[in-house]
Amino acid sequence: MANENIVIIGGGPAGLEAARGIADIGYKAILIEKRERLGGMPDEAQYATLTPDRRDAEEAMDEMRDAVVDNPGVELMLNTTVTGADGDVGNFTVKAEQNGSAVEIKAGAVILATGFQHFDPGRETQKYGYYEHDDVITSVDAEKMFKAGKFVRPSNGETPKRVAFIQCVGSRDRQIGNEYCSKICCGISSQQSIEVKQHVPDAKVFIFYIDMRMYGYWENEIYWPAQEKYKVNYIKGMATEIIKKGDHLIVKGEDTTMRRPMEVPMDMVILAVGMEPSIGTKEMADIFGITKNKFGFIETIGGALNTVSTNVEGVFAAGACTGPADLEDTVSAAGSAAMKAIGAIRRVGVPA
Amino acid sequence: MIDLPVLKAADRKPTIDPANAPNVDLREELFQLEKEGELEIIRVPDNHVELPTKYGRMKKIPIDKTWHHKSCGQCGHIPGYSASIFWLNREFGLDYHDPTDQTSCTAWNYYASATSNPAAQAAVAVRNFAAAAEVGYFPLIHCGTSFGHYKEVRHALIHQHDLRRKVKQIMEKLGKKLIIPEEIVHYSEWVLAMKDRIAERQTLDMSMITATVHPACHYHKLIEEDAIYDKEIYGAQRTAIITGTLEALGITVGDYSTWYDCCGFGFRHILVSRDFSRSFAVQRKIEVMIEEVNPDVTVTHDTGCVTTLDQSQFAGKAHGKKVGLPVMSDSQIAALAMGAHPYKVLQLHWHNTDNKAFLEKLGIDHRAKWAEFEAEVAKIKDGTNEFMTWEDAK
Repeated sequence: MANENIVIIGGGPAGLEAARGIADIGYKAILIEKRERLGGMPDEAQYATLTPDRRDAEEAMDEMRDAVVDNPGVELMLNTTVTGADGDVGNFTVKAEQNGSAVEIKAGAVILATGFQHFDPGRETQKYGYYEHDDVITSVDAEKMFKAGKFVRPSNGETPKRVAFIQCVGSRDRQIGNEYCSKICCGISSQQSIEVKQHVPDAKVFIFYIDMRMYGYWENEIYWPAQEKYKVNYIKGMATEIIKKGDHLIVKGEDTTMRRPMEVPMDMVILAVGMEPSIGTKEMADIFGITKNKFGFIETIGGALNTVSTNVEGVFAAGACTGPADLEDTVSAAGSAAMKAIGAIRRVGVPA
Repeated sequence: MIDLPVLKAADRKPTIDPANAPNVDLREELFQLEKEGELEIIRVPDNHVELPTKYGRMKKIPIDKTWHHKSCGQCGHIPGYSASIFWLNREFGLDYHDPTDQTSCTAWNYYASATSNPAAQAAVAVRNFAAAAEVGYFPLIHCGTSFGHYKEVRHALIHQHDLRRKVKQIMEKLGKKLIIPEEIVHYSEWVLAMKDRIAERQTLDMSMITATVHPACHYHKLIEEDAIYDKEIYGAQRTAIITGTLEALGITVGDYSTWYDCCGFGFRHILVSRDFSRSFAVQRKIEVMIEEVNPDVTVTHDTGCVTTLDQSQFAGKAHGKKVGLPVMSDSQIAALAMGAHPYKVLQLHWHNTDNKAFLEKLGIDHRAKWAEFEAEVAKIKDGTNEFMTWEDAK
């Protein structure tokens, strides 16, 4: 007979949604999170708003947290790190360390929701000087500033007059092995460019890009308003380097539309950092014997029609641990994983 | 103090975990091809040190048993550059080989669209590698152009079966094997690996010297994962090459805003658009260095960079530009620090830009040194000596 509990590893949007769904259906979710707080990357990185609806991130995460905290169908295990796993579908034993003590959890199925990490711009893109210039920040840093309600130059606290976004930092880059598009950065930069203009209406804002990939409704919800209402300048061409000259940054690169090299002074540069598998994602894949793709993300085996099953029966994956994903895809996959996990248990058989 | 949720650059800590970061180690594929009998590999000699590369892989740098792949431009324009490399090897009593059967890599013509095809290019490279292997030494590449080109050739040979087949056929005709070094090593990596030993033997105080550094494009922009980086130098945000050596010698390295720019050589520009090269070298590099740092010398590590930065300054001078900055290689600076003769070994008289003020700042009596050099030349003129020997160069 199968154990009817389902272990979910990772307390971000995917894990929270999967836990809520499992409890709603009447099964028990055991949600394991290594941090002391739920909310995943939006919480950890202090996102100000979510894309594309610009909803307050903390408020949205509170809503997701409220759905599982004190939910009788959800057992929360915070400050808990999974260290090992045994068993098969219907009868898994998940070994973990909780507040320094070893614990074992029995479950019929497992959902991995261990997410992603933001690309570290110091790893490869030294030419952008993230570790050299105070006024070169990442899109994650920008979120923190928006959340604090203060968008100023880190070097001197002054209001920036010229701000540039650089796209595809750590994405679509064969040199470092990240050949994939991170999907979300074009939308987020466009949204952030609007926020910059709202904070500093007089600022001139530029976005340097390879292609703007504004899929679905993001095109009219974010891209056109940024250009038409907020007068953000989109320049097709990658920046090759950023240097400091006096009190300013100089962005060098090529304007491919104008077919000429460019050197433009800026006060601040925001690097649109892409998504990479989190360390937790890679560790959990190894613990559960799950195949990773060449980029280190968990490989799902069902193609386009099943985005959550893995090569290990009874272990499912949801959200950005399977590859770059926006929140819409993430919560949708979480629902799918919850349903398939329950299905897997029912196929093995549950106690009468 | 600004109260912000964003850290200043100096306080930002890279999250990179070298063990987990995606990395490229071509050697894995190389060793696999060796297992499959596709090629042979020249192993790095036992006497080597390991230095970290851009993404954390440790690169093996041979200390001795090195086969010196010389540079056409160095030998032709600035012979003291390679003479300094040999002088350093001799001072340390290292076993090295200075081959007479090495050919040009032909890469410079390749950049000027003047060479034939990939198989010919790769065959030239492999012929030189094979020549090194035949005498039991490991290739150490003096020239940045050759170094960059060989890295690309190795990459292509590993990934293109067709190319391997064609090169094998050529090698068979020459009676040689398809053999590739485990690492492609530039001489400046050897200098960096030797920096502490050089500093131990330093006889000339250089603490009063400020230098700027120009890292060669061929070194850190082509197959960039093979370049040496060190977290102690620019926080591993730039290559450690040259800077690490100079700092070990007590030289202050000044930063300037156009450090990433090409020297002006431009791979092909020096051949097909030389005026552009001259202007770029003067206006984008030399003038910026002088304006922002005002150094005593600028140090680089490639033939094209030394010659372009040095030999373009006459044009700037004619136009009233801010020029007059001596240009040298890291090997010359290292040799000078250990007491090498500025004319007999470094052969600074081949350099275009006046370097006498630099020598004077170091306390070197350049007039006396020049007289010593002329005395040696006189012996050759009057037939006493056929050429200058290492003994004469002391």
